[in-house]
Amino acid sequence: MNLKEKIEKHLLEVQKPSRYIGGEVGSIIKDKSKVDVRFAFCFPDTYDIGMSHIGMKILYSLKNARENFWCERCYAPDVDFEKIMRENDIPLYALESLDPIKEFDFIGFTMQYELSYTNVLNMLDLAGIPVFAKDRTEELIQIVVAGGPCVCNPEPLADFFDIFILGEGEEVNLELMDLYNEMKKQGANRLEFLRKAAQIEGVYVPRFYNFEYKEDGTIEKMTVSENAPEKVIKRIIKDFDKVFYPENFVVPFTEIVHDRVSVEVLRGCIRGCRFCQAGFIYRPFREKSPDTIYKETKCLCENTGYDEVSLASLSTSDHSQIDEMLSKLIDYTAGERVNLSLPSLRVDNFTEELLEKIKKVRKSGLTFAAEGGTQRLRDVINKNVTEEEIMSTCKIAFEGGYSSVKLYFMMGLPTETDEDIIGIAELAQRILDLYYSIENRPKGRSPQISVSCATFVPKPFTPFQFESQDTREEIERKQKLLLDSVKSKKIKVSYHDPDVSQLEAVLAKGDRRLCDVVYTAWKMGCKFDSWSEHFKFDVWLEAFEKCGINPAYYANRKAEYDEILPWDHLDYMVSKEFFIRENKTAHKSVTTPHCRQKCSGCGVNKAVGRECFC
Amino acid sequence: MLRLRATFEKTGRAKYISHLDLNRCMLRIFRRSKLPVWYTEGFNPHPYYSFALALSLGFESSCEIMDFNITDDNMPLDTIKERLNEVMPEGMRIVDIAPQIQKITAIAKAEYTFDLKSEETDELFKAVENLLTSPEILIEKKTKKGIKTVDLKPDMDILCCEAVGDTVKMKMRLPAGTKTNYNPTLFVEALRNSCEIPFDMENTRRTGILCENNEKFS
Repeated sequence: MNLKEKIEKHLLEVQKPSRYIGGEVGSIIKDKSKVDVRFAFCFPDTYDIGMSHIGMKILYSLKNARENFWCERCYAPDVDFEKIMRENDIPLYALESLDPIKEFDFIGFTMQYELSYTNVLNMLDLAGIPVFAKDRTEELIQIVVAGGPCVCNPEPLADFFDIFILGEGEEVNLELMDLYNEMKKQGANRLEFLRKAAQIEGVYVPRFYNFEYKEDGTIEKMTVSENAPEKVIKRIIKDFDKVFYPENFVVPFTEIVHDRVSVEVLRGCIRGCRFCQAGFIYRPFREKSPDTIYKETKCLCENTGYDEVSLASLSTSDHSQIDEMLSKLIDYTAGERVNLSLPSLRVDNFTEELLEKIKKVRKSGLTFAAEGGTQRLRDVINKNVTEEEIMSTCKIAFEGGYSSVKLYFMMGLPTETDEDIIGIAELAQRILDLYYSIENRPKGRSPQISVSCATFVPKPFTPFQFESQDTREEIERKQKLLLDSVKSKKIKVSYHDPDVSQLEAVLAKGDRRLCDVVYTAWKMGCKFDSWSEHFKFDVWLEAFEKCGINPAYYANRKAEYDEILPWDHLDYMVSKEFFIRENKTAHKSVTTPHCRQKCSGCGVNKAVGRECFC
Repeated sequence: MLRLRATFEKTGRAKYISHLDLNRCMLRIFRRSKLPVWYTEGFNPHPYYSFALALSLGFESSCEIMDFNITDDNMPLDTIKERLNEVMPEGMRIVDIAPQIQKITAIAKAEYTFDLKSEETDELFKAVENLLTSPEILIEKKTKKGIKTVDLKPDMDILCCEAVGDTVKMKMRLPAGTKTNYNPTLFVEALRNSCEIPFDMENTRRTGILCENNEKFS
């Protein structure tokens, strides 16, 4: 029985079988005897989530545009299918060829969130690939690589990967595959390949870096071997308007989380909110021209048949030609009966004209990220939004016919006091009062203010990378305080599980010693940690204990400015001096203007060799 | 406006497309084809199309039926067929497009083929024959009003039942449409209840959608 028959024998026993058999429109099939390098692009979560990821769509098409490369997709099977796979010796396979991924040259993971780490181990294990890099064959095959935002501190994963790819993947992936192809033909082995790969800019080979620790647990020093660079610099695309963008997506049969065309309109962010990792690691700010955005939208809608398109970015309204861009897009989408959705709009530059444009497209809910309950705290985190701006935006929205607003906040931010927590409830109340004060408010509908409160997670490459996270007890106290402060039933409060946030903090800020914990937790049955029904915090705590590691050391300890941080040897083009400066400014409750107003000297312009805005 | 009826195949990997997913899939097929398909004129306009009968997940079919309208009266039916087939996923193919003649309510029966695979083929074959010659074939069927016991026997036409190698090949006609709908899995379930022989049901395929007089629905 071949693998396809084996899979099909059991496929009807599982939920949503079309996730496991391929054959979707837009998937790329090649003759494997005619390709040089095979790449299994793995997303460490289920199909429904992984298929929504825009980065995977870009790199899938980009690699497949090369005739001699074949990139295929691979996702974590849901628990029902995993059980069947293990019982029937079905190894993890790629969806295009249905070949086992252990036969592939590259097994690449995209690391989008910390709570997907155990899934990587589970997938490697399901594939029949040794989970520890040191246990893999000396032959040149099965190179396990990772990219994505989490690899800005990949140390808790260092033992499992051969290579981390820092920054934007469009160029470096091809360079790496070309090098592999060349060396494979020369008969090189794994180590020889890794040595040469480490010389490519943006390529980090963790086994060439060694850490020693002080008695207090902090890093004593880092040493480099095999001539690998002391600092690995992330890769960026210089001409973003001309960067490769797919002309087609794989169109799934089953419904996925983001089941629509997404078009990337800009990369990076000018804002510099001090908690936000994405705002720093994706710098410099670059945008696509309205013309390019229009062409990519049209092309993708036509090729996929999707009737919905979403603009992807960190802050769409920061596009310098937003009005022109939207006019152009709406002309097309309205004519073709395509829905356009615009996530990531900011409160402060939300104009009446913009709202009119959005309304023409679709009337969905409005979401604002206020993040802090008081102006003082918003200044600390550099969320350059005033209450006036929030109010005036809500007023426009209510007058424009909206009756529900969703507000995002964070809890446990540096310098936060009870006043800030109560401030969240008060702000929500004032928005509600505003609604009732408006004479031409929508009639016949009850207003709803949804307050969604996340727990602050200190992240590497942010001014708050030095900060500690509130303990679980403190977060729970603050959550209760918030609930008690809300006086209206029209204000709905939801918040995150503090255990999840603590694990996120540990893994985000962790060092290499955590590899054992990740391994142990997985061995003890942890997987799908981002799914509340699968998250087993008690098992994680047991794993920490077994490994003799205190999670509080990583999550609840403040780091000194002069401490060697586990990610200091990785260069994301924004300097540590800048983060220290910003951290000090934060503690004075002083804001920093955004990049268009004034250069804050983060260092990215020096790294790129040009001014970000001229 | 052309009121059309397409007959299409759903085979191979396409059998894993559920009925709900098929709806979404067809919407995208129409959009990719850029055919002048007629949109509904309600608050939320969408291309109009409707499937005559739902097909169970995992079943193949050579005769699925979908109605839709084309606003261009002069468009040749072959062109419509070609343009749809160009953008269909693997395993789905339009075999025929013709004007709608009968009303959907004329559908009364459907024809299925399937294989029963077992290591004890002879015993299984006997068990099938026993079941078929029994005075009634009772099985519990889930309906909207709850579980009720139905007798398949009077409404079931066996067209073929033969043992070939390790397989019992079956072909049967069952009621389908707006009044009564019997799925061949009901028969298989009844067979499982009547004997202890382990077997698998494989290669289930709908091979015909018929009217009361057993003529092809068109």
